[in-house]
Amino acid sequence: MSFWFAVLRQAGRNLRQTWPSQFMTLLTVSLSVLIFAFFFLVYNNMLNVGDKLGDDLRLIVYLEEEPGPEMQAQLKRKILAFDEVDEIRFISKTDAYQRFSEQLGENRDVLDDMPQDFLPASVEVVPLKNLSSLSQVKNFSDYLSKLPGTIKVQYGQDWIERFYYFTRLLSIIVLLSGGLLILTSVFMVSYTIRLTILGRQAELELLKLVGATNNYIRTPFLLEGLLQGLIGSTAGILSLYGLFHWVELKFAGPGILSIFEFTFFHPQTVVTIIAISIVLCAVGSYSSMQKFLRI
Amino acid sequence: MTGHGENGTMIEMIKVTKTYPPDVKALSDVSLSITTGEMFFLIGMSGAGKTTLLKLLCNMETPSNGLIEVAGKDIHRVKGRHLARLRQKIGVAYQDFKLLTDRTVAENVAISMEVSYKKPQLIKKRVKDLLEQLALSDKHNTVTGELSRGEQQRVALARAVANSPTLILVDEPTGNLDAGTTEKVMQLLTKCNNSGATVVIATHDHSIYRNTHHRIMELRYGKLHLVREGMVS
Ligand SMILES: Nc1ncnc2c1ncn2[C@@H]1O[C@H](COP(=O)(O)OP(=O)(O)O)[C@@H](O)[C@H]1O
Ligand SMILES: [Mg+2]
Repeated sequence: MSFWFAVLRQAGRNLRQTWPSQFMTLLTVSLSVLIFAFFFLVYNNMLNVGDKLGDDLRLIVYLEEEPGPEMQAQLKRKILAFDEVDEIRFISKTDAYQRFSEQLGENRDVLDDMPQDFLPASVEVVPLKNLSSLSQVKNFSDYLSKLPGTIKVQYGQDWIERFYYFTRLLSIIVLLSGGLLILTSVFMVSYTIRLTILGRQAELELLKLVGATNNYIRTPFLLEGLLQGLIGSTAGILSLYGLFHWVELKFAGPGILSIFEFTFFHPQTVVTIIAISIVLCAVGSYSSMQKFLRI
Repeated sequence: MTGHGENGTMIEMIKVTKTYPPDVKALSDVSLSITTGEMFFLIGMSGAGKTTLLKLLCNMETPSNGLIEVAGKDIHRVKGRHLARLRQKIGVAYQDFKLLTDRTVAENVAISMEVSYKKPQLIKKRVKDLLEQLALSDKHNTVTGELSRGEQQRVALARAVANSPTLILVDEPTGNLDAGTTEKVMQLLTKCNNSGATVVIATHDHSIYRNTHHRIMELRYGKLHLVREGMVS
């Protein structure tokens, strides 16, 4: 108990002496958490949107002629050679005719004069619903169109592909801002603590001389790092939440945002981000402290 | 400090040499043992190596050669937590005081007790008590940077003895004091000694060892010579 009393007393002294730089660090940490969390949130939502788009995504390979069972097996093997897929469905000429006439509904009599096999046979390929397979949908389509006996390949709209390039770019930004978060929190925290240490070198040296244990000297700084991580990341997440809420209110109703349902992080994700920030800040303060204690 | 009864050895130095770079021989082949509970005077003119010897005893400097044991432990082998615990039991009044000049007198004295997690009320009482004995009561809340050297010297001494250490090392404790205050300082040290602490006093002020019955040794050019054997054990 008296250990924690001593730790809190020391931490209080540190804070009183160096609160301007502590405050700057806090700001930096929360800003970098905000930046990272912002991109991560957008990315997460893009993934959700991607999932929904992916549900409808399929490539239709039109064939020159009706494939026999052997040809079907060959095609299947060729398709699977490129990538695993969710489903491969063969549509014969009559199936296609059937479907088309169902789609026409009451107007189906326009087909009366047409031969039952006027529509080409085709293969429907449903790619796996993950980003990596979806993002190569163009490559996949190129591959399929080069298979022998195909006339042409159709898939969704062009913008699906662009959308996936965008998501990929976003994932890079998320990684970069994550790296920024790591750098700023570790370095800023270790920098402020080094400042504190330099400002109080005489005292810390004396503490060692009068028999303070390393824990006595180190724990207040560690606590400082922990608090900076906790408060900084909480502030960052809270301001992101505020921003999110504002955008939600501002753009409520019909509009581009209402097409996709935007959601905030799961509580688990929030806890994870905060926990990681705490660990990073603690690492920063610990590394500064170790350098000092070794001298 | 277990295993060191009335007649145990607190300090054991065997053939200790200390050479400062590049080539300053501060101590050469010093051998010395000090009994637990002894009061010991180390005299010598300025530059003789007194401060160096005390610094070796509290692990502020490492010897170039030889063995130093304090309370049965090779003090230069002890590391980390054990070194901290040993230092808590050694009170040192440094020649240059090493006070925190932006803190009050009371805070400075309290530090040595805080690091061994003494209760705040106990610290408060002890600090008040010590400052009274050293005629510093009115300076309780004064920042030490504003004190005279004589006052700073006594604050350093108060900090050294506050945690009731078993070994007290004092370096020139009376350098800046008048006769009356010197008397108070010696009374405090004698009191600590009477309650069991081993006390080592490095000084060149002959007024404080002139009438003593304790052992006196002199450092001359880094070598130790016996001046007078102690009268009482
Ligand atoms: N850190 C140091 N570096 C180099 N020489 C030193 C150092 N400290 C002390 N000395 C030298 O060692 C000798 C003994 O010094 P010191 O132990 O301070 O003597 P005293 O305390 O008896 O006056 C002196 O010649 C001094 O110049
Ligand atoms: Mg000296």
